Amino acid sequence: MTLSKQRSFVTPGPGETVEQIAARALPGRPTQKAVDDIKSWNLHIFAMRRPPGLLTGSDVVFVEPPLG
Amino acid sequence: MYDVIITNGTIVDGTGARGFKGDVAIKNGRIAAVGKVDGTAKRTIDAAGRIVAPGFIDPHTHFDVQILWDGAARPALEHGVTTIVPGNCSLSLAPLKASDRKAVVGMFQQIEEMPPEAFTQAFTWTWEDFAGYRKAIEPGLSLNVAPLVGHSLIRLWVMGEASQQRAATPDEIAQMQDLLRESLKAGGVGLSTSYIDVDENGRPVPSRFAQFDELDALCEVLGEFGRILQVVPEFYDADLTIARIDQLAELSLKHNIPTTFSPVFDSPATPKNSPRIVARVEEQFARGARVWPQMQTRPVDISFSFLRPSLYFARLPTWWRTLRQPLEQRNASLRDKEVVAKMLAEADTNMMTQGMGILVIRGGDNAPAGYVGRTLAEVAKERGETNSQALINVSLENDLDVAFLAENVGHADTSRIGPMLAKPSVHIGASDGGAHITSFSTYGDTGFLFSEFVRKSGDLTLEQAVKKITSDTAEIWGLADRGRLAPEMAADVVVFDAATIGRGAERAVFDMPGDGMRYVRSATGIDTVLVNGEVAYAAGDYTAAKAGVVCV
Repeated sequence: MTLSKQRSFVTPGPGETVEQIAARALPGRPTQKAVDDIKSWNLHIFAMRRPPGLLTGSDVVFVEPPLG
Repeated sequence: MYDVIITNGTIVDGTGARGFKGDVAIKNGRIAAVGKVDGTAKRTIDAAGRIVAPGFIDPHTHFDVQILWDGAARPALEHGVTTIVPGNCSLSLAPLKASDRKAVVGMFQQIEEMPPEAFTQAFTWTWEDFAGYRKAIEPGLSLNVAPLVGHSLIRLWVMGEASQQRAATPDEIAQMQDLLRESLKAGGVGLSTSYIDVDENGRPVPSRFAQFDELDALCEVLGEFGRILQVVPEFYDADLTIARIDQLAELSLKHNIPTTFSPVFDSPATPKNSPRIVARVEEQFARGARVWPQMQTRPVDISFSFLRPSLYFARLPTWWRTLRQPLEQRNASLRDKEVVAKMLAEADTNMMTQGMGILVIRGGDNAPAGYVGRTLAEVAKERGETNSQALINVSLENDLDVAFLAENVGHADTSRIGPMLAKPSVHIGASDGGAHITSFSTYGDTGFLFSEFVRKSGDLTLEQAVKKITSDTAEIWGLADRGRLAPEMAADVVVFDAATIGRGAERAVFDMPGDGMRYVRSATGIDTVLVNGEVAYAAGDYTAAKAGVVCV
């Protein structure tokens, strides 16, 4: 059974920052652009959470936008 | 001689097989015979015109605290529930060091709306480890308990305050494995974890700071026992929920364990979400993974007043903070123009003001008679205010003792939910029994299953519905001797009227410690409930029987 395509994600490593996740997950993309993309695809962490941007080890961090 | 014979009923045995006329004989707490039974018994129960079924199993509850003073988990038992699973969502009451009690009490108050008096007046803390908790609850049980071990508790025990700050070291993970192993040996049915819950200070609960390798290590221990992992995912978002499904599937396949997540809510605002989630589950089942989505039967209703904190305001931080203040300070804040302006702006920004219009003023000691039963939108228009202004002002003018009801605000389209509940891949659960007690009633979901989806819509036959909440649940959770009416099985039995089984109206009662308030629903159509062969509920009354056990 082949699984249908779903949004790709990573989970943060111990102490990993959004900049480090962006560099790992989106290599070759300019750093600030990669960080902005990660933030825009993960509003559950970077907008809805208090404090915004608090990363926990169990977080799902999407590395691509919602699929069409 | 048998102890009990239930005669003349229609036996729906929990397997999904068609009901048949017959008798059920019970001896020494076990089913002795099913069918045409000869012989005599110390007690005979005439079930003519009634259904005789296995006791219902509720796989998602938070009765951890209540069962310390109420072994029947009232009113769960009267709804035919003979086995409950507490300890969901990473929160149990053991293993818990005495020095960490305050932290866990705060989480229970925040997440489950337990009054503080429940922890100070209703019982004495006598335990730290899981075996000690079992010893504390078991003598008083009128129903069976299959308790989960909370991941947050395991983490807190090993890491203390650091459990809400950082990843665990390999040595700490090994300690957690040992602690989980010891807890499962003492009767834990599995492990629960959470990806959404926060403590009373708004900080993520300990389980959320765990790296995936920590959960993987704990699932390795579950695999040694063949026990289950329960997860509460980010249920408000389908992509996030599907990511969790995929993680659970990997853990299930790697460690050969069942996993389950709850809840799955259906919403008219995002109609594709719940079908997508169920479809992903079915893809994972086809790979051999066991990832059971729990779906509740009842629509989402939320009641609140300004007298108590409410999850209704979870997305409005200023409202949330203000309504959690001590009463005197709360009253002062609600009269502070600056605070109120911020609250009103926040409601507008979050598009909540308009939504508040559907609130119905349901009562409360000081609710103006002319307002009761009307929508807030009507009352606000009459007063020349916005909905959110009226919500604040009507509360303030009446000493905050006005109750509002947001009815059917989600999971309410039964024409969509019924077919999903009927799917073999969907696990009926997520009642949250014993939680959110000041926001809505978490009792009667089984009755609603029969009244709404068997009698009214016909999405399930009676036999299918019984199977869903008995043998299916027992199989998923590894409760080998429950969920069916067959010789040698535990004699958990419910006798009910198929024509009237249901749930009563939601009502407020003040039966929690410290005269604490909660919402409940009484059962309809339930005649008799037996737990391990003893009559625990009959003719509208709870008996003194204490035959419940920790059944793992």
